Amino acid sequence: MIDIAPKMARALLVTVAISVIAVAASVVIGALFTGVRMLGARWARWTVIAFVEFTRGVPPLVHIAIIYFLLPEAGLLINEFWTGVVALALIGGGYAVEIFRASIISISAGQTEAARALGLPPKLSFRLVLLPQAIRRSLPPLTNELANIIKASSLLSVISVNELTKVANDLIFVHFVVVEVLIELTLLYLVIVGILMLLSRHLEARFAL
Amino acid sequence: MDLGFIVEAMPRLWPGLILTIKLCLTALVIAMAIGLPLGVLRAELGNGITGRALDSYVFLVRGTPILVQIYAAHFLLPMAGIKLDPFWVGIVALVFNSAGYQIEIARGAFISVDHGQGDGAAALGLTRWATLRFVIFPQAVPRMLPPLANEASHLVKASSVLSVLAIFELHKAANAIISQSFKFLEMLAAQAVLYLAFVLALTQLAGFLERRMHRRSGASMTADLSIR
Repeated sequence: MIDIAPKMARALLVTVAISVIAVAASVVIGALFTGVRMLGARWARWTVIAFVEFTRGVPPLVHIAIIYFLLPEAGLLINEFWTGVVALALIGGGYAVEIFRASIISISAGQTEAARALGLPPKLSFRLVLLPQAIRRSLPPLTNELANIIKASSLLSVISVNELTKVANDLIFVHFVVVEVLIELTLLYLVIVGILMLLSRHLEARFAL
Repeated sequence: MDLGFIVEAMPRLWPGLILTIKLCLTALVIAMAIGLPLGVLRAELGNGITGRALDSYVFLVRGTPILVQIYAAHFLLPMAGIKLDPFWVGIVALVFNSAGYQIEIARGAFISVDHGQGDGAAALGLTRWATLRFVIFPQAVPRMLPPLANEASHLVKASSVLSVLAIFELHKAANAIISQSFKFLEMLAAQAVLYLAFVLALTQLAGFLERRMHRRSGASMTADLSIR
């Protein structure tokens, strides 16, 4: 178990790197699409709704296959690492739209009305009143989303990204030690995801309104 | 895109879809039979040893990827002397996963029922079992339905990961056709549509059950409101 630790640690870094980049990108995608979903023209809204339903209704493995086959077709030749990032960012983006939208809707309409009654123009009342509250409300679910993305990143082993699960699986077939590798693999995931779950609970308690 | 090819390949995708449906429904039913009672038990128990053990099980399930759980079932079951064919290895992995989430669903619905309800029933002299049976369950069960529908669609998506084993469900069937014909665009679109249709059918069914349950419990719910 100690012999394989350096390899596993390196793979863990790949997993974390992919997940962090993907979540950062998915927050950007999510924010943009939420804007379109709530303010855009009818066709644009429906495009976003279709995108969200598609990301949530089709297995992540199929998304990964789609990105893996279609990016080269579109003339984008990037390595497996970035293919994985694109796939996870798009999946995460679909979920992020719903997270942002739910947090914005959950802020009572009274808040905006009060801000307008106090004479704030619509743009300012959105920026100064609605947005700060919506952002703090979306932080706990976003932390959860990061945990989900970390778990989904294990699926990138099918397109031979050298992340944690792929490396562990290879180690099993090289050394024929099953139990030790599986225990170490499980523990590593539990540690990261556990930290994130604690963080999410902490944020939820701190930002509770 | 070659639509003709999709039609042509349908007879070969169809068994994959059927297997996916079989896997999901079997796993869902078994996981419900295990997870929901355990969730109620978890809510009833304090933080004793059993409660803690259930918590760690839920943490283990929620903290590791489904792929790792599938590998674990694949490697560890034979080592424990349990030899199953791939279908049942897949079922074991999916049930292990889904039961963990369903414990949380049942526990959540259970503790969301107002505390005063149980206290009131106890004050009226109902036994604990009668309280559960006639007061808590009728309110908790409808609340479980929406998250259970969510869990069912999660399960459908998780079942695609079983393609790493020798289980010819929808994703693996489509992959096999891709590697023979290299018509990836067609096969990706076809399987995406089939998965979407299955997930949509499940959510529609859940919505129908929810509406029916609300209609049936409508009288008692208005009575409940009038007291407040």
